[in-house]
Order: sequence, then structure tokens, then C-alpha cells
Amino acid sequence: MTAPSHKLCLLGDFGVGKTSLVARFVRSTFSERYLTTVGVKVDSKLVERGQLGPAKLVIWDIAGRDALDALGMNYLRGASALLLVADGTRESSLASALDLLMQSRSIVPRAVAAMAVNKLDLVDEWEVGPAVLMEIRRSLPVFETSALSGDGVEAAFADLAARLPA
Amino acid sequence: MNLADPSRLLPARVRDYLHELVIGRTHPLVLSFAPGWRLLGVAGDGAFHGLHGEDPTPLAAELRDLFTGLATDRDQSLPFVELGGSRPVHVHLVAGADRFHVLLLDAEDERQRQQVQQQLGNEAALAGLAQSRAIGQLKEIRGALERQHASLEEANAFKGALIATLSHEFRTPLTSIFGYLHLLERRHPEDGGLGELQAIRRNATYLFALAENLLEYARGESGAVPLDPARTELAVLVEDLEAMFRPLAEDKGLAFEVGLAAGSAPTAVLDGVRLRQVAINLVSNAVRYTHQGSVRARFDCDGSRLRLRVVDTGIGISEEFQASVFQPFNRGAQAGSKGAGLGLSIVRRLVAQMRGQLRLGSRIGEGSCFEVELPVEPGGGEPAAAAAHPGGRWCRGADVLVVDDDPDIAQLLEALLVDLGCRVRIAHDGAAALAEAARQPPDLLLIDVQLPGLSGNAAVFQLRARGYRGRIVTLSASATATAREAALHAGADHYLTKPLDIDAFLGVMERALRE
Repeated sequence: MTAPSHKLCLLGDFGVGKTSLVARFVRSTFSERYLTTVGVKVDSKLVERGQLGPAKLVIWDIAGRDALDALGMNYLRGASALLLVADGTRESSLASALDLLMQSRSIVPRAVAAMAVNKLDLVDEWEVGPAVLMEIRRSLPVFETSALSGDGVEAAFADLAARLPA
Repeated sequence: MNLADPSRLLPARVRDYLHELVIGRTHPLVLSFAPGWRLLGVAGDGAFHGLHGEDPTPLAAELRDLFTGLATDRDQSLPFVELGGSRPVHVHLVAGADRFHVLLLDAEDERQRQQVQQQLGNEAALAGLAQSRAIGQLKEIRGALERQHASLEEANAFKGALIATLSHEFRTPLTSIFGYLHLLERRHPEDGGLGELQAIRRNATYLFALAENLLEYARGESGAVPLDPARTELAVLVEDLEAMFRPLAEDKGLAFEVGLAAGSAPTAVLDGVRLRQVAINLVSNAVRYTHQGSVRARFDCDGSRLRLRVVDTGIGISEEFQASVFQPFNRGAQAGSKGAGLGLSIVRRLVAQMRGQLRLGSRIGEGSCFEVELPVEPGGGEPAAAAAHPGGRWCRGADVLVVDDDPDIAQLLEALLVDLGCRVRIAHDGAAALAEAARQPPDLLLIDVQLPGLSGNAAVFQLRARGYRGRIVTLSASATATAREAALHAGADHYLTKPLDIDAFLGVMERALRE
């Protein structure tokens, strides 16, 4: 029996590290070089989910933006999971991620969602405070991640995968 | 005109050209599927898209994954898609009745153009963010520096206030010490304990000079007090220096000489208090650092300039230290220094305030020569201080009311006054003084300014307001012009500062009772 495929979209402002999170999760690699994404990069990875059985995540790394345009909406169609990505060192990117979540609800109202606040390796420079994240956690799972070290990356994707149907 | 299909109207050559242009640029590849993603066939530029005649099934599986969650029964378009790290393509799903086609068009050139633009834009935005963050940090640093500067200024002001308060507080006990020394020396001049008394006087004098210097130093920190020029009796200053330092110099076996140059004017109009501090510091320094030989100080005033020259045969100051010797708290400049290191820095400051000049010549082991030259204002003026006066020639039996909350000082004043024939009553606060004066108005009221409850000035004011016409002498530990003015304004006739200069005190008492 083949594992069910689920479309997972990463959304967030430019430069927050979406592509790096996917590279860490799918290929266990990291590059310091910032290369902006045009359009969408699609990767997939089979994840084990215990009793739920394996699932194939088709991961859409959508070009960074702070608001969804028609093209972004188009990319989003059919997604079962959303990983909102923010950069802990840029508080504005957290607001963008929450805005994107609100907008995406009109296209994918039932998609499971989680928040990755990235660049945990630069935590000394974070503008995002713990109290803010605690507040967001009331309505959304939040993971502090580092694509550089890998901290929190598996956990964020695993959380989304665990909430997808078998 | 057939508008539904304009390409049919195009010349065949143009149609061919366009076909080559689009095909050549986009390298189309079509994969056709039956519903359920069953691959039916592949057409187009497979080699360009990496098929090279290989099995197209993996690519078909990737496309199926790509369309996860999306319908296949209607046309769809997904621009700029990178599948598993391959070249970017525009992906179009073209729906048919019993099959659908997935068309891949190469988008690398277009992607590259867009990426360059977006990359520039995003990097500029990130750089702008970093710049505004750096500016914010700089502002924070500046704010922190400003706060630190303010707190340092506050600490410095506190330090100045502390020094001023402490030195001010020294004056009251010093008044007791000098007063009782005077009584002891007067009553028992032949006493075998005179050596011990001299030691006490020597140290009390040093303590007094130190307190004055600290007060001046603190005053300098908080801003210079305006000059207060008045006619100054140089002979009085010479006498005071004699009285203060001759015993100390003779104790050390030094030849000691203070005097006026032949032909010098007897008075000079300048700030007498500052001149006195300059002279005391220079002579005190000379006596302290001279262990054999002599100390000589000479005043010379020609009506426009006053010169003070203090020459000693002391330990001297090496050339390298001659500049730093005028820095405050510098104790290393003179070998064997035991002073606080304030005296010369204060001399320099006072001379500068008086717009004068200060010169130093010195050789190690041979001695030093300090020369001060001060401008003198023309004309006369009131003498700044009462002339020294031998006590005991004034009205015996005068009724004097002494008001001081410090019992030692009250007792000392009583002893001095009784010793000279006065009848003395004591009150320890302003209210008691008012009551005592109302009961029996004294010939003279000698009152301290800083009293518990009603201040000395307030008591004086009330007494005057109730018609008291006797003489009033105010006594205070504060030597400022403001404090003096406040006391005189309240109704006092004379103002004396602690520690008491006994001769000046006696002179003022006689004048007050004679007036």
C-alpha cells in the first residue's frame, strides 16, 4: 500500500528561511547563501507517523511574500498543511506570517497549520519575545527552529504530519 | 475577418517563425494521462527535460505529487515550478474529455531575470532593516552614554556636596579646638605642657587648612564663586601667617620670615579671602617640605600688582613633576609627601580666578620658589576683615547673650567673654533666645546661624521686628558671601565665621559694643 500524499505549503516573508528549512528537512543540508525563491520549489519526503502509518509530504516552498496575491492563492490550492515561517530576529515577519495564515484560510480553510519561528541560532538578536510566542501558542503550535543547526525542524514537520489523515 | 483564430491570417513564414521561437525557447514536453494518473504517452523535448529516452514514470509520479489535492478535470497553470531541484518550468494541466495532458515549458531564462530583480529588492530591504537596526542600536548606545554621563555628573555633584558638607562640618569642632587652645595658652603660658599645646595647634592648623582646601575644591567643582574685591590689610595677613606658621617653623628649627617689601603699599584691593588661601597654602607647603634652612615669604604691592614670593630651602620638585604638582590629589610629586595633594591645585585655581600668574622654580635638594602675581584694583574700599586687636580693652560688665546649640562652643564663647569681663547668659536655641532677650534685652547678642528649630537668622529677624536695638553678631560655619548677606539682611551688625579667629573675634566684639 502506497503512503498517502499530502500537500504542505510553507508561507512566510522573504528571507525568513523557508527554503533552508526544507533543505534541512529533506536533504539535511544548509547553505549560508541567501538565494531568493522565484515561484515555487517542490520537494517530497516520506515521513513515519507511528500507528497512523507513513505519509508522503509534498512540500511547496512558495516564494516569500508578506501578503498573498492571486499567484500565491493559486499555489496554495489543495494544501492539507501550512507551515507559517517567521524570522525571530525580525518581529515584522511574525506579523506577516499571521496575516498570511488569515488570508490562506479563504483558500484552504481546513488545512492543519503550525508556526516555525526560525533562526534560533541567532536567539541573542531576536526581536520576538517569549511572551508573544506564548500568546500565539494558545491557537497555533509554535516551533522555535534553526535551519542551520536543525533544532526544531523535524519536530515542526512531524507535528503537521501527525495531524494529517492516514 | 476571422477574429476567432487570428493566427490563420498570419503569413505561413511568420507562423513558422513564431512556432520555432516558442518551441525553441520553451522546449515543451507533454505527458498525457488517463484519469487516475495512468501515463498514456510522452511527446516533445524529453531530452531537454532530462528524460534522454529513459523511463518517464518517475517524472509522471512527481507530477502526480505536484497535483496532490488539485482537480485534473479543468485547466490549471502553475508558473515557475522547480521539481526536486530540476530546471524551473511552467506547468500547465490541459484537461480533456477522457484524458488530460501536463505540459512543461522551460522557464529558466525568465526565472533568472526575475530572480536577479527580486534578489536585489529583497537584499536591499534586508540591508535597510539591518541599517535601521544599527541606527537603533547606536541611538540606544547614545542614550546609555547620556544616562551614564548624567549619573556620573550626579555622582560628581554628590561628591562635591559631600566634600563641602564635611569640610563645613569641620569648622564647628575646630572653633572649639582653637578657642580652648587660646584659653589654655593665655592662662598657662609658662606651663610645661606648652609643647603639647603647640602640637595640637600645629595639627589643628593643618586640619583647618585641609578643610578650607576641600571646601574650595568642592566649590571649584560646582562653579567658581565671583571675586569679592575689598581693601585688604597686608600687614594683618602677614601677622596671621606669622602666628600660624612661625611656631611650626621654629619647631623644625627653620629660619622663618614673613613680611612686606620695603616701599610696598600697606593695602591692596583684591579678594582678600582668596589671597589668604593662596598665601596659607604656599607657606604651609613650604614649611611642610623644608627640613632645614629657611622659609621666607614676602608681599610687594605697587598699587597695580601684588607679588607674593615664597622661597624655601626644602626638598624641591624635580622638573618632570613641576607640571603635575598642580594637579589635584597629586601626592607623588614631592618625595615624602603626606598632604592630601590639594594645596597647589587650589593655589593654581585661585590665582587663575583672580586673573593672576603663578610661577614655580625648583631644584631637587635645593628648594623651591613660588611666585604669585595678582592684579590689584585701583581705589579704596572697606577693609575686608577687622584688624587684629588685642583683647581686654573694651567695655567690662557688658551683658552678652550667647546662643549656640553646641554646648562646647557655647561654653567656649562664655569662657572667652567672661575672661574679658563680660556678663554672659546662654541660650541653646532661637526660641529660648527670643524669650531671654524679651525678659532682659542684652547689650549684645552673639548667635549661631544653624540652630535647631528657629534658625539664627529667623531669630535675629524676629528680635529686630520686636524692636530690639542692641548689637547683634552672627556666627556661622559658612564663609560664603550669600550666607553673610543673609545674616546682615536679617538684622545682624557683624558676621563672623568659624573656626573663630580669636583676635578678629575680640576686635569685632569691642567694635560692636562701642558702636
